[in-house]
Amino acid sequence: MTNSWWEIQVAADSNLEETIFWRMEQFGCKGTASERQQNTINVKAYLPQQTSSMLDLAALSLWVRQDAISLECGVPVMHWSPIEEEDWSKSWKQHWEITEIGDRLTIVPAWLEPPASSDRIPLLLDPGVAFGTGGHPTTQLCLEALEMRVTPEAAPVIADIGCGSGILSVASVLMGARQIYAVDTDSLAMSSSARNCEVNGISPERIAMAVGSAEKAIELAKSQPVDGIACNILAEIIADLIPKMGPLVAPHTWGIFSGILLEQAKAMADVLEQNGWVVATLWKRGEWCCFNVRRS
Amino acid sequence: MAKKVVALIKLAIPAGKANPAPPIGPALGQHGVNIMMFCKEYNAKTADKAGTIVPVEISVFEDRSFTFILKTPPASVLIKKAAGVEKGSGEPNRVKAGTITRAQLEEIAQTKMPDLNANDINAAMNIIEGTARNMGISVSD
Repeated sequence: MTNSWWEIQVAADSNLEETIFWRMEQFGCKGTASERQQNTINVKAYLPQQTSSMLDLAALSLWVRQDAISLECGVPVMHWSPIEEEDWSKSWKQHWEITEIGDRLTIVPAWLEPPASSDRIPLLLDPGVAFGTGGHPTTQLCLEALEMRVTPEAAPVIADIGCGSGILSVASVLMGARQIYAVDTDSLAMSSSARNCEVNGISPERIAMAVGSAEKAIELAKSQPVDGIACNILAEIIADLIPKMGPLVAPHTWGIFSGILLEQAKAMADVLEQNGWVVATLWKRGEWCCFNVRRS
Repeated sequence: MAKKVVALIKLAIPAGKANPAPPIGPALGQHGVNIMMFCKEYNAKTADKAGTIVPVEISVFEDRSFTFILKTPPASVLIKKAAGVEKGSGEPNRVKAGTITRAQLEEIAQTKMPDLNANDINAAMNIIEGTARNMGISVSD
């Protein structure tokens, strides 16, 4: 993974915006960010530092200048500087706060101290570059649903498909789950989940992790059914996964499925029912919803 | 009471694949926006358009909450599609990459009109034609 980037900034006539996007894309930048001020546009684009030299960037500058002349626009001002990844990840972390979720959990940024006097369970979280900060309605809905299902007495075995930062897996273990099988197709999620296990003092064997999807969770579970399945991704992906979960499912298995927009709820309910699930409750927050399901 | 917008940021990024890497991380991080939350919302709303670029305009409010609206695809994407080519020319003065008709040019200008700084369709067509020329795409009458 790249650790430093060139930040390329162009201040130009707003009529050049489309051409600048094209030129940056042609040069290898994966997208642009721009802010308009009256008739001027300030565009930023980024390149991994090791892929381009100063000479390459100087050549790019000449191309942008030529593009402007061709469009009879004023000469743009372009400059570039190196930035480190930490520059932006820290900037948004500064605004992160301790958040109470449901009746039992408190999400604490890993870089902050947990509240000294509280009967809530502190879940330390360093989201890194994987999804699941506890700030999104779908994550909150999943955590609240897990609260209803996971106790030390029940000590369930759970498959967490699309584990992201590992927030649902870690929360489940902290609330009493016996064993978690956590999978995600993004390898970055694995390192993020592993880090969050570590900061919460959870031994690696309690949360078995692997890069992959439902079939990988089945493999981790040795084709044995689990007590619960948590899946907080997106509606289209969940709809594809549900028919593939067969070996994980027993008559007592429950499911928590979220990452679903309200407008997608009807179609998701149909998929669930076609695959033998009964919708017990549907929780809504903002424009999102969470299905709590069980077998018939 | 209406919330105050402190920044209006446009991102031109691949549909369904938003992540905290540049340009999203630096652009939103400096405004304190919850980057993961934006990525999840954007990916949910563009998952069915995977493989294309779907620009998005994000309004950041005083409390660091945000809303966003999806915008029209970049002109270069529409031009390449109309010309039936996968990429433009890196040296448009010497190497031509393809051709579009004036009718196609007007159609693209109509599509892009809401997002361009143009007062009428002729001004929009001029911008699109200039972009096409810089890509090595000719316009035939």
